[in-house]
Amino acid sequence: MESAFTYTESELVQGLKAKDQKVFGYLYDRYSPALYGVAMKVLNEESNAGDVLQEVFLKIWRNIDRYDESKGRLFTWMLNITRNTAIDTLRSKAHKMEQKIQVLGDDVHLYTTNLTVHPSVDHLGLSKVLEKLTKEQRVIIDLAYYKGCTQEEISKVLEIPLGTVKTRMRNAIIQLRNLLKIS
Amino acid sequence: MDVQRYISSGIIESHAAGLVSESEAREVEAAIMQYPEVKAAADAVRVDMERYVQIWAVKPPAGLRKQLMERLNEKEEEVTVPVQEEAVEEEEEPRSLMPQIPVLKMWQYGAAAAILLLIISSIMNFVFVSRIDEYKNKNTKLSEEQEALSVEKNAFSERYQQAQKEMDMMKDPAFKWVKMQGVNKHTGIVATVCWNPQSKETFILAQELPATSEDKQYQLWAIVNGHPIDAGVFELGNMTKSLQKVKPVVNAQVFVVTLEKKGGSITPSLDQMFVAGKVAS
Repeated sequence: MESAFTYTESELVQGLKAKDQKVFGYLYDRYSPALYGVAMKVLNEESNAGDVLQEVFLKIWRNIDRYDESKGRLFTWMLNITRNTAIDTLRSKAHKMEQKIQVLGDDVHLYTTNLTVHPSVDHLGLSKVLEKLTKEQRVIIDLAYYKGCTQEEISKVLEIPLGTVKTRMRNAIIQLRNLLKIS
Repeated sequence: MDVQRYISSGIIESHAAGLVSESEAREVEAAIMQYPEVKAAADAVRVDMERYVQIWAVKPPAGLRKQLMERLNEKEEEVTVPVQEEAVEEEEEPRSLMPQIPVLKMWQYGAAAAILLLIISSIMNFVFVSRIDEYKNKNTKLSEEQEALSVEKNAFSERYQQAQKEMDMMKDPAFKWVKMQGVNKHTGIVATVCWNPQSKETFILAQELPATSEDKQYQLWAIVNGHPIDAGVFELGNMTKSLQKVKPVVNAQVFVVTLEKKGGSITPSLDQMFVAGKVAS
């Protein structure tokens, strides 16, 4: 996330509120890979992900007045918009449960061919993180965050009791945290 | 609240991963506001998720930026309609698949529907409440009637059993019926003893004995060779119409009834003898 640019987050917010297109361009350059990554992971389709990304940035541009700094960081807010918009698109295309899972299975292919890694994590670190997460740990995070699955759906897919979904999620994220520390 | 337990339940991670229901999300947000430890845990998890998301960062197609910047200008020129439509969106709201009906219109439809439902519901309530009252009244009446019938039935059944018993005794040849006539000044009054010498069972039918004062009671005696043997006291009133069981009598040549103090005496007051009857041998 470190960058040579000089905008702080509050300067960014102020610039956006003032409808400064230069600030908006900077925002796009800096955050679009992360947000596009989310859209790609949710939809797994370049054309749809591109549409979603445009929609997301237009929402940011128009609704910046709704952003409340006291509630969280700008990046968090933008991520939420992206995730929600992408999952809406996924659902409006009436993707069924089976398709969600199938899409997830295809991800491995996508990751290896179509991935441009953000500067903050190098290739080695990335592959290490993914290797060390068990399949279940990855799937539980991805189903929840990228596919908007409910606890019931996850319990069914992973064939684990409904009551343990939350603790599995905790274990997955703790493992993720440890791996991120190392990389 | 046990904060450590709450943190280790996994609800904070699930919240960060978008896995919780709306009510759970509100709960987590309240806990974040209230407990600094929960807030710290939630912040840490959020950072984890954001770093995870960064792993998947992909550069968007090159033409997209230009396209977007153009749309930015476009939309800004025709500010009104689309911006308003977009303004409806609230990123914290749950995602909805509802068709894009303007909010005001939707609200109006909703309000109209709600009022209509309220009116219908009120009418139905009124109808049902009055029906319930009606049914309640009917039910009370019916159960009262049922109770009265049941009492009547019991009375009849008791009377029937009594009559049946008397009939059986009359039919039974072992029973001896001894009619006791009034003696001395009591001529005209009558009582009957019904005695089974084999089973020793003894009954009295006090057909026509004069009423007594509260502290007095009639007593039946069996006389054997001039010796009176107590056969027990008996009642008047309602009981005069039916056979009353008295003490078993082993042997008797004559039955007499005397008036004694309430509860009976050990020896008969012979001057108070009302009726007497000889047992037919």
